[in-house]
Amino acid sequence: MSGFGVETLWVLAFLPFAVAPLLRSALRASRFSAIDAAPRDGVSRAVAVGLKALGAGAIAASILAAAAPYRAGAEHERIGEGADIVFLIDRSGSMNETFAGRTPAGSEESKASAAKRLLQGFVDRRAHDRVGVVGFSTAPLLLMPMSDHRTAIKAAIDAVDRPGLDYTNIGRGLAMALAMIGSGERDRSRAIVLVSDGAGVIDPRIQDDLRAEMKKANVALYWLFLRTAGSAGIFDEPDPEFDTPQAAPERHLDLFFRSLRVSYRAFEAEGPAATEQAVAQIDRLERRPVRYVEKRPRDELSGLVLGIALGCAVALLLAKLAEVRPPTREQGA
Amino acid sequence: MTAPLDIAYRPRGRFRSNRIGSHSSSEVGGFGVFRDQTPFLRHPDARRIDVRATLRDPFGETYVRRFEQRQAIDIYAIADLSASMAFGAKFDLMAELCGTLAFSANRVGDRFGLIGCDHALRQDAFIPATASRSLALRAAERLRAARCSGEGARGFLDAAAALGASRRLVFLISDFRWPAELTNGVFAAFAHHDAIPVAIVDSNEERPPRWGLLELVDAETGARRLTAMRPSLQARWIEQERRRLDEISRLAGGRARPPIIVRDRFDALEFGRELAAA
Repeated sequence: MSGFGVETLWVLAFLPFAVAPLLRSALRASRFSAIDAAPRDGVSRAVAVGLKALGAGAIAASILAAAAPYRAGAEHERIGEGADIVFLIDRSGSMNETFAGRTPAGSEESKASAAKRLLQGFVDRRAHDRVGVVGFSTAPLLLMPMSDHRTAIKAAIDAVDRPGLDYTNIGRGLAMALAMIGSGERDRSRAIVLVSDGAGVIDPRIQDDLRAEMKKANVALYWLFLRTAGSAGIFDEPDPEFDTPQAAPERHLDLFFRSLRVSYRAFEAEGPAATEQAVAQIDRLERRPVRYVEKRPRDELSGLVLGIALGCAVALLLAKLAEVRPPTREQGA
Repeated sequence: MTAPLDIAYRPRGRFRSNRIGSHSSSEVGGFGVFRDQTPFLRHPDARRIDVRATLRDPFGETYVRRFEQRQAIDIYAIADLSASMAFGAKFDLMAELCGTLAFSANRVGDRFGLIGCDHALRQDAFIPATASRSLALRAAERLRAARCSGEGARGFLDAAAALGASRRLVFLISDFRWPAELTNGVFAAFAHHDAIPVAIVDSNEERPPRWGLLELVDAETGARRLTAMRPSLQARWIEQERRRLDEISRLAGGRARPPIIVRDRFDALEFGRELAAA
């Protein structure tokens, strides 16, 4: 699976030197009348074996380090829970307002900040998602291509509460989101989360393209509608004479999404709490096992091996410092 | 050079030799300590007729006084020349002891001989028992010239065979760092002599360091052993050394005198006292 290798192979030809400590002791030997005077002792035997191993280890590790060992990079396929998700976020001017339709003052939170906070939490909870972020107002803005890089994703979502501008052009935003999510692996669950506080009319010509694309991509669509107090809702049914896409864009967008024949849910949220619930629900729905690839770069092991060699050498040095000799006549009384 | 001090020694047990000397022997003769009276025909020595006993005897038997003949005994120092004796001052102690023994033996008219041995008899350190003072006094010199290089001490058994059957006073000088079976065999081989084991001990062998790594090389076999010294092991070491000497005494029991331990320093007076007590 993971290949180990060395940069300069010929250096390993010196490895047989590592047996040297087994043949000769590093400690200065003291001639003694009979070694049987020293009691046989398990600890001593263990220390003796340990010192030989340390010596061999120090030499072997040094030679190995000189050969520059590495562990080849590899890709690991893992199974986790998650999905490919594209956040399609409304960046129109009205997102800067609170749910009450005012400019945020004091501790009030704009719709954009609420969306940001909740989406951050969403991303935090789901470790194995691949996420893309698209903003849109009059034209779509690619904030972040599909990625599993947590920091980048969160940075992209952070950018969502920058003051927005202009209008809501959902059609082009959706097209970009679809293009981004593409037709990836079949077994991944894929979803587009549309976060907006209003709706617009989708050009009928684009409508057909979108319909075809959505079908092809086989994605789930979630519409998180941040409803401003007093404005029209998704599920309000106006008088029949006003029931046109221009007069009630929310309702007609909803109808369009329903007609796409993909898995679709609309959440109408009238405050941060309701938004949180909606996000939690999406979190629950988009949980399918996914296979994801973890990349591990090639590791240089020289440092580690040198560290081992140094550790062995230091231990040997300590042993050498701990070396004693039997008392001699001069020292004795 | 000052003359060495005499070591006073006395052989144990009955011995006989054909040389008049200073030790009471089992030989009877006309001089010395009175032993018994015996009929004239058994000991026909007219000079020693006991007139009083002869007159007192109702059957008219003639009696002769017998005396314990004082005779000379051969003293042998059997010196261990195995490499273990080269440690510390043991070899010097041994040479000093041999010199003193040679001097003392000649002073009282005994013959002194030296047999050096390691795994076999050593010809370079062999002096047959001799009454020649100069030759005997050269024993220590001969011994000092010899090198401790041998492995093991099986030569002691050969030395016992070389000594023959007549009883002699034998000093077995070694550190007795032998396998128990060899110690046992040597004491058995010398059982019909008056054998006195002299254990030469260097106190440095009994005083291991408290802490540290000690790599020991056996002087005889060259084997190495690493010892991780610590207080508990030090205590075991000292205890083992003490028990080793006890073990030598135990093995000597009944066949040789209890060992005399010469530790670090040879004092002829002290040695003589211990010899008298042993």
